[in-house]
Amino acid sequence: MKPNKNRRLPSLLGVLFAIVLIAAACGGDDGDDGDASPTTAPAESTAPADDPPADDPPADDPPADDPPADDPPADDDNTIRLGIMGECEGAFGGFHEDVVAGATLALINGAGATSTSADTALDGFSGASVAGVPIELVGIGCGDDTADRAIQEVRTLVEQDGANVVIGPLSGDEGIAIANYALDNPEVTFINGISGAQDSTLAVRAPNFFRFNGDGAQWNAGIGDILYNEGGWRTAAVIADDYGFGWTSAGGFVADFCAAGGQIVSQVFPPLGTTDYSSFVQQLPNPDEVDGYFWVIGGTGTNASLEAFLNAKGDLTGDQHAGNLFFSPALADALGTDIAGAYVGGFASLPGDITTPEIEAYLASADAAWDTLSGGLTGNEPGPPSTALGFGFAYGYYTAGLAFVQALEQVGGDMSNNQAALREALSNLELQAPYGPITLDENRQAIVDTFVAQLVLDEASGEIVQQTVAIIPGVDQTFGGTYSTETDPPERDNTACEPRDLPWQGNSIPVIDGVPQR
Amino acid sequence: MISLSARNVAVALTCVALILLPAFGSDFFVDFVATRTLMLGLAASTMVFLSAYGGMVSLAQWLIFGVAGFAVGNVVAESGRGLNLGWGPWTGVFIALVAATLLALLLGILSARSTGIYFLMLTLTYAVVGFFFFGQVTTFSGFGGITGIDPPGFFDDRPKRLYYAALVLSMLAYVGFRAIARTPFGLALQGVRDDPVRMSSLGFNVQLHRTLAFTLAGFVAGLAGVLNIWWNGQIDPTSISIGPTLDLLIIAVIGGISHLEGAWLGAFVFIGANIYLRDIPFLGSIEGLLEERLLAEERFNTVIGLLLLLIMLASPDGLAGIIARIEHGIRLAFRRSNPEGDGSSLRTNGQ
Amino acid sequence: MTSNAAVTQIESHRSLLWLESVTVAFGGLLALSSVDLEVVEGDRLAVLGPNGAGKTTLFNAIAGDITPSEGKVLIKGVDCTALPSRLRPQLGVARTYQKTRLFPGLTVEDNLYLAQTGKQRRHLSLWRNAKDAELRAKAREAAGMVWLTDQLSAQVADLAHGQQRQLEIGIALVTEPDLIMLDEPASGLSKGERERLVELLEALPVDSTLILIEHDMEVALSVADRVVVMSDGEVVATGTPDEIRRNPLVHAIYLGEEAAS
Repeated sequence: MKPNKNRRLPSLLGVLFAIVLIAAACGGDDGDDGDASPTTAPAESTAPADDPPADDPPADDPPADDPPADDPPADDDNTIRLGIMGECEGAFGGFHEDVVAGATLALINGAGATSTSADTALDGFSGASVAGVPIELVGIGCGDDTADRAIQEVRTLVEQDGANVVIGPLSGDEGIAIANYALDNPEVTFINGISGAQDSTLAVRAPNFFRFNGDGAQWNAGIGDILYNEGGWRTAAVIADDYGFGWTSAGGFVADFCAAGGQIVSQVFPPLGTTDYSSFVQQLPNPDEVDGYFWVIGGTGTNASLEAFLNAKGDLTGDQHAGNLFFSPALADALGTDIAGAYVGGFASLPGDITTPEIEAYLASADAAWDTLSGGLTGNEPGPPSTALGFGFAYGYYTAGLAFVQALEQVGGDMSNNQAALREALSNLELQAPYGPITLDENRQAIVDTFVAQLVLDEASGEIVQQTVAIIPGVDQTFGGTYSTETDPPERDNTACEPRDLPWQGNSIPVIDGVPQR
Repeated sequence: MISLSARNVAVALTCVALILLPAFGSDFFVDFVATRTLMLGLAASTMVFLSAYGGMVSLAQWLIFGVAGFAVGNVVAESGRGLNLGWGPWTGVFIALVAATLLALLLGILSARSTGIYFLMLTLTYAVVGFFFFGQVTTFSGFGGITGIDPPGFFDDRPKRLYYAALVLSMLAYVGFRAIARTPFGLALQGVRDDPVRMSSLGFNVQLHRTLAFTLAGFVAGLAGVLNIWWNGQIDPTSISIGPTLDLLIIAVIGGISHLEGAWLGAFVFIGANIYLRDIPFLGSIEGLLEERLLAEERFNTVIGLLLLLIMLASPDGLAGIIARIEHGIRLAFRRSNPEGDGSSLRTNGQ
Repeated sequence: MTSNAAVTQIESHRSLLWLESVTVAFGGLLALSSVDLEVVEGDRLAVLGPNGAGKTTLFNAIAGDITPSEGKVLIKGVDCTALPSRLRPQLGVARTYQKTRLFPGLTVEDNLYLAQTGKQRRHLSLWRNAKDAELRAKAREAAGMVWLTDQLSAQVADLAHGQQRQLEIGIALVTEPDLIMLDEPASGLSKGERERLVELLEALPVDSTLILIEHDMEVALSVADRVVVMSDGEVVATGTPDEIRRNPLVHAIYLGEEAAS
């Protein structure tokens, strides 16, 4: 470790780099009220146009109505500083563009915004205002599917960039963390993006956290009912990923199936990231011992687990299997067309086979807003914007943005008194969203319309496609009392299995050839 | 014992600046950058301590840090996942520190025979086992983790107090670790690092030394873990997964794994890079040049990787090593220009 | 252990080290084959033999770095055949290594200080006390014995090779052992340094017992008053330096080889 002459030059470079970094750190530190140092490129595009490049040294020239720096932020001040909390890394990192586009489209459609770029949503937007109040995008948070990172990113948005309204996040654990953060930060309004953990609303109940999408259990409403009454299942086995979303999603099926009269005979929970499912599949009853199986295995595990089942049990037929939203027509590639007939649980938006004038208008508005988007469904290659916006991730953020814009419109842009009027309006909003109406319950959790689909064999092409069979209206979070503020959040098998009356039982709307028979 | 070396002067000046920081730094900088730097630096310092004085590169420090957090969560939280004991926050601290220390003792006993790459792999294994343990055992957490953990009232909603707590503990750890290096125990630990065989033949119980050092480091990592859970408010298994575990190693390596102050320096660069690199327009324009979003904000890992590479190329012993070398160079130049100047700037023990 | 009959017998003629048919096997290879050896207080014993004769294995068995597969090792009458090496300094054993084993990250003084604390059972202390001053003084004294006084504050990694060999011996001496085992102390030293080494060894207190492995005949035979010659893991000759010089067998297996090389 002796000093070495040859190392001097690289050392200097290293020091130089460190100095640049420290300088950047100190520079970023100037912006006490958040306006002076936008975290991300998009915000730069919204900076006042008359901002001369070389200003006086304080360089603190936010819009004229900015309060003195020491005031508590965002109380009397009527500027809206919006942060979007996305997820650019981790399991759902591929949907970052989708979700940002979803929130942005709501501002384009509802607040007169214009996207900065025609082929990405990540460069932000400009010109948004509602009732004369400008909405500025101060930053896009970059989560990685973990709660810790979500907290860091949302704190950056709020505490550094000065966001007073945040739309997001994307995934369940992030949602719980941010709902808890909302409890401690009553001056900021949070509108959930598409995260689906039950706790975020039912357990945490932060008065400033709103969710206009269903939770993971709600998305499986109706499927148990259909399997019991139309599929003839009386007993079922459940195999689900061993983590929050898996438990919640499985819990939704259990609650629904049991409410209709069914019995759960076995539940198996392989750890997330399992590659060899054979030992878990062995724990399931044999096909002649149970009426059917419900699968909640995501990612690469969906195929792997079903293949393991095929190897162990010897046969796999669609009428004996059902799954949550992870079941997709692509399964047939590996499993063959015997999978046809399997029922699939719902998600935030409706499958593409359903068209209504509202849906068509919504998708058309997406195609008008951008030329292309590099969303998750097109493998992050440029694709039609409507492909991204038609999927649940982007749609969840769209409904969040739309709810925000509509509520803001209702109160005339009034952000005063700790955003009290805005929050009141959000709580009571009857959101007319493209895929169906959404209202909130007393925990500010959405009551949604969800759907049940089926994998069917398309006679013409010989391929398996997904076909919507029913829309389940008015699904709330409690499943008729199975879940309440008193119950523990869904864990492996703590969802009570008992017959119940569910508000949506018998009210499902059949869908024939893509047309809901309302 | 305290000599007026440039190193000590620089550290003292930094401490003064850190004490005064809340008076002139923005709330965000104090709470978000500085507090986290101190917390992560404290955790990383245990890794540096074990490596620099004990020759043990431990990847289990983040696990122990996390176990303290899970312990606080289980003891303090009243609802949600975990044990929900709902006891007082200070009881939580006590139990967390006991848990962290006992775990470190146990892991220390199990790994004291291993050295080098085997020790590294063994501690990595502990980290992975810990991740799955808290994921699978829903009695203590489950994958959903424990949320809504409030700090004691003294710290609740008072980020500056938490900052000072982190600062005081960091200063104590820094001074403490350096002081320990001069005690019989610390010297023996360095002896074990340099030549365990000779140490044994001189009558030392090498494994006992390793175990005790590991336990001590575990206690300090537990302190950092408690601070972190107060700051973060929640913990789940991904908080202690392999990603953050390696982040701590990166922090230690950036700072310089043979210099104690490197722990905090590395934490500052790591956190600073995460937050501020997005602001540098220069990097934004590179993105345009490459026509790929190489250095866009979502590529933080790429940036930190490049940064690590750059620092490693410039100085195998990290930023602290660069600084030490500059100091050495200045002193040489000074001595050359001032030949009869006192030559008593003797090297102590290389740390 | 003093009830042992063998012990009383040994104590009667102040035996410091007693090896009884000590055998060390590495797999099928016999590194030591039934070696018997006795060293009494004040002995200056040199162990000679070609490479691979088992000299260092003998040291390792005595110091506890290797447990013999058969036989007994008694130090001061205590059977320590299976006693861990770290407990043998308590019995007054100190050794050096053929390949320098120091603490390069520490200073010369710290090396010499540290060497004492193991035996002093001070090494778990997180505090310094009055005892330390005494140990430090001894460390500086020992540095003087091995001509390193002016290097006390130097880091060991920065010392020249010869100085490191001096320190290697210093570390053994500073523990004030009753039995000093030096493994090729002269290896890698210049002629001048060897002369100083002999001077150093001859200056050791008369009652200190010394076992010396040495290739350099000049060093070995001028320091030792008794010589053991080993070959292929066995003791093939013992005697005074003069007897060994005249022993034709020794010439054949060892000195001849030396002459030839």
